[in-house]
Amino acid sequence: MQRCFASVFLLAIFLVAGLTGSALAQDLQAAGLATGSSADYFNQLMLGITGDWQKYGELFTFLQGQWFSKIFLVVITAVPAVFLLHYLIIGAKHFDHDSEPIYFFSLFARVVHFVAAVSFTLLVITGLMIVFGSFFGGGFIIRMARYIHLISAMVFALPGLLMFVMWFKEMLPQWHDIKWMFIVGGYLSKEKKPVPAAKFNAGQKMYFWFAIFGGGVMAYTGYIIWGFGASLDIVRIFTMVHNVLGVGIVAFFLTHCYMSVFAIAGSLESMKTGYKPKDEVDILHSLHKY
Amino acid sequence: MARVKFLCDVDRCIDCSGCVIACKEGNHIPVGVNRRRVITLEQGKPGEKSISVSCMHCADAPCIAVCPVDAIYQRDDGIVLVNKKTCIGCGYCFMACPFGAPQFPKGSVFGARGAMDKCTFCAGGPEETFSDEEKHLYGQNRIAEGKVPLCAGMCATKALLAGDADVVADVYRERVFQRGSGANAWGWDKAYKKK
Repeated sequence: MQRCFASVFLLAIFLVAGLTGSALAQDLQAAGLATGSSADYFNQLMLGITGDWQKYGELFTFLQGQWFSKIFLVVITAVPAVFLLHYLIIGAKHFDHDSEPIYFFSLFARVVHFVAAVSFTLLVITGLMIVFGSFFGGGFIIRMARYIHLISAMVFALPGLLMFVMWFKEMLPQWHDIKWMFIVGGYLSKEKKPVPAAKFNAGQKMYFWFAIFGGGVMAYTGYIIWGFGASLDIVRIFTMVHNVLGVGIVAFFLTHCYMSVFAIAGSLESMKTGYKPKDEVDILHSLHKY
Repeated sequence: MARVKFLCDVDRCIDCSGCVIACKEGNHIPVGVNRRRVITLEQGKPGEKSISVSCMHCADAPCIAVCPVDAIYQRDDGIVLVNKKTCIGCGYCFMACPFGAPQFPKGSVFGARGAMDKCTFCAGGPEETFSDEEKHLYGQNRIAEGKVPLCAGMCATKALLAGDADVVADVYRERVFQRGSGANAWGWDKAYKKK
């Protein structure tokens, strides 16, 4: 009996080996190597090893070597600079925090948001550390940043999904969002006029959808890049996508931070206690029914 | 200072993989890492050719351009080296390299890539020359000893040439002049009955 099993096992191995062997031979045949010059030969050869370098490899080298870090630098300096100007010229919005408190975020929502906030912040910080790795001198610190980047991404997946389910309905675009965008949420004036927004305004909605879909793409591309889980050309494309999307996400992240911490004085409290003052809700979320 | 260069004469390479073994053995390369490999196309058919490939020590090396932590640098003689203590194993150099030269040992935490390892032209690394640390991290420093890299030194058919670019080019040019190259190389007609 044992011998019978052994022979079947061996046969299976031979079959698998034969199949892969012939597949390899076909691959090489498909390479269609003409007896041309050494340069032609080398070109064919490299196509098999490193993909189409002149298509994606060169583009990746150009973008990563020249542009990505510069674009990130512009984003993390220009966006805060614009907000600083906004803060100095227009200033923060103040609301009467003694007015009737309105329950805005449930405990569940706050916990989910807190986990998401911590992991997402870590993702942004470690991601930027990797982009500006040479500034920190590389080595141990940046290696740790990579590990934390991975762990934070895995942690963020859960609250990311929960937020998607939890706020899906409220985050769907509505007609009044267009009006909100035309007046940029009323943030360009000191006046306190009711702004057309329900529970979430158009800016929050944009951030939400960008983070959900962008986050999904970032998670998948990041996973592939981490383990080189695809052909080299695909990995190159994914790395470029990961970086370009990263620029957008960093910009939105900075905006979200500025809005919650500086632009609306005391609005951070609502994510801690769950209550927003009535004064603030009536102005910034005038269509919200409570 | 002269610039160094590798050149593999594809009309001489017989796919013995001696260069791969010499490199792995002589430099104690970790398992799963190949600083050099021999690739054969059209195996068993007319036009079969083998070539030994490793880092080409490019003049304008793409790996140096993309490295986010500036771990890769180039010596005055053109040899491209990596500082393994700075490297974070992100793999960008592998994506940028047209030759697939950068290699990454596996087995770090979370399946992360370890520090990049690639052909050093047998010139060691940034550590002190002939130090134990240099030998442990990067292998031999034969350039400092005045020798050619192991792979080229042991090549039985003298297909793999390494050294001063001008001398290498002269040797190859002389060979091509005497025996032709590609389909015109000596012995081709007799071996494959082509006219």
